[in-house]
Amino acid sequence: MDRFDTALVLTRVLTSGVVMSIEKNDRELPGLERQLGKLSGRSAVVLTNSVTAAVHSALAGIGAGHGDVITAPPVPDDIRAFLAWLGVRTREDGEPGFTFVAVDPADLASLPDVLAGLPADRPVVLDLTGLGFGPAGAVLTDDSRVQAKAERLKIFGTFDLRTMWTQVESEPELVPGVQFNYRLSPLVAACLRMSLSSRPAPQPAGEPA
Amino acid sequence: MITDFPQFPLALPDEKDVLAELAAFDGTPVIPKDRRRTVFPVITKEDVFAMLLSAKTRPEKVVADFTEAYRDYVGAGYALPAASGTASLHLALAGVGVGPGDEVIVPAFTFIATAQAVVAAGAIPVFADIDPVTYCLSPEAAAAAVTERTKAIMPVHVHGLPADVAALRAVADRHGVAFVEDASHAHSAKVGDRVCGSFGDAAGQSLMADKNFPLGGEGGIAFFATEEARDRAADYLRRNGIDYGMSWIAASFGSSQLKRLPYYDAIRARNAAVLDDQLRETGLFSPPVVPEGSTHAYNMYRIGLHPEAVGLGDLPVHAVKEAVHELLVAEGVPAREWQNTPIPCHLPFRRRQGFGGGWPFTLNPAAARDHEPEDFPVVTGMLARTLVLCRELRSPVEYERLARYGQAFAKIARRPDAIRKVIGDRTFPLPWDKAARLG
Repeated sequence: MDRFDTALVLTRVLTSGVVMSIEKNDRELPGLERQLGKLSGRSAVVLTNSVTAAVHSALAGIGAGHGDVITAPPVPDDIRAFLAWLGVRTREDGEPGFTFVAVDPADLASLPDVLAGLPADRPVVLDLTGLGFGPAGAVLTDDSRVQAKAERLKIFGTFDLRTMWTQVESEPELVPGVQFNYRLSPLVAACLRMSLSSRPAPQPAGEPA
Repeated sequence: MITDFPQFPLALPDEKDVLAELAAFDGTPVIPKDRRRTVFPVITKEDVFAMLLSAKTRPEKVVADFTEAYRDYVGAGYALPAASGTASLHLALAGVGVGPGDEVIVPAFTFIATAQAVVAAGAIPVFADIDPVTYCLSPEAAAAAVTERTKAIMPVHVHGLPADVAALRAVADRHGVAFVEDASHAHSAKVGDRVCGSFGDAAGQSLMADKNFPLGGEGGIAFFATEEARDRAADYLRRNGIDYGMSWIAASFGSSQLKRLPYYDAIRARNAAVLDDQLRETGLFSPPVVPEGSTHAYNMYRIGLHPEAVGLGDLPVHAVKEAVHELLVAEGVPAREWQNTPIPCHLPFRRRQGFGGGWPFTLNPAAARDHEPEDFPVVTGMLARTLVLCRELRSPVEYERLARYGQAFAKIARRPDAIRKVIGDRTFPLPWDKAARLG
């Protein structure tokens, strides 16, 4: 990663004065959502402050909670431990309830192809921590219901960061039981945007990357 | 360049404008529409330079350096950085050994995260009423809520005023349960010379960018009295695969902001003292009460209303509050309710679905009680007759703005006739009969 780009991006956001995720003038989180949507071809993106938060949000999105059984995709051991902590049991057979993709700088060029090749009928959990700006994750989905439920987990049941203090509940059935603050920092989001937009062009097949 | 540098300075108010017509009745607002924005957090060149240096430093070191510097400032024994205040409270509870089915006593008046962190730890929040003066957990109510399954008492230093630490600690010790602080509003708040976050067996604190001590976006920190408790919390994270890690970007901002925190704290205290004096002259309004020996951090500033002092004692106090709220907003003072419903009456604690299928509430049905707002008369009494200033007083607000706040309160207090007119024959539902809001 070119450190100058990071410096420029962080200075830009600090100069704007908007570093709070629940600030209605924040442009970084919506910008990253749009970018990941475009990159993946999915219509909805839920940003989170870690990969485990993204896993939890995806499960909330598909309606899997304590006591439920799901088929988990291949995931690292700590994610498996996290599923057990949530009280979600896993089995090996059947179609996984979500797809799991960890992104490292070396994977950026091929990321659109990887995402395009995933089953469209289930959410994707994206681990963005490897890009180097601290814990970060995202849930990608085409299902607005999955998005709505996943989004609500991350900010104490509310459906929109920018109106969290004032909104009046319109869909009480979507309010999760346990609720967290899984909000991503706009400063981290800005760096992720830079990282994703400066990804190298994919190498033609047959040539070494 | 997108910047938050203010476009216009604000002039001192003209003293005779206190007699001018109210903005709600087509008078001129005390604070003009284009000068209402309050800048927070204040971001300086030092924050930018520190961030650029951090980008060239190992991320683990940036986070560890911040954690150690702030732990030392607070005077707590041990600390763990976290992604949010909720995560830090969860860690604090895990550190003192709170686990599935345990009961944790929390105030019925707080931000919902206090109670949700208890659920995150697999425990059941047991709600108790607050003290009518400090608005923090009442030691008597907490004592009355203790059962054989109580594992911890977790008061909140609400708005930045310390709870009655000595009395609550005594209750915890008498019953052999842990004492955990929710210090999310109470950065630099003190009892005597000791800073909030250093009193408990453990403490959690939000450091999100809207707090008196802001990190770069989102963050929190858990404090522990013993190494054993800190290690228990760290092991809990490892064992369960939970990523509550703090970004180096958030930490870097905290390290540079920490150096200026005493300056901002002093400005907040000055501003609160000036507004205290202005409100005392109005009759209708009263400032927060700060017990002898306590230092209020003024993350929020809760104002009492006394309709009887201006001849409005015949009206329901919550109706007067709502009318005054409308008049204040029209003058350009964005006062808020900040909570309108006791937390146990919010949807997640009425339904008690928890992680799914009712877990962990199903582990301890006796502790999972149905509540009505009336179960917490001190909370509802406070909600009915108070209004809150938040960010409007938090940043190093200019003296001119502060003087205008004072003028707006004075202007409205002189006009009981206008308050009566705003109320007219409208009906005002009680705050907690409206939909519960987060803030």
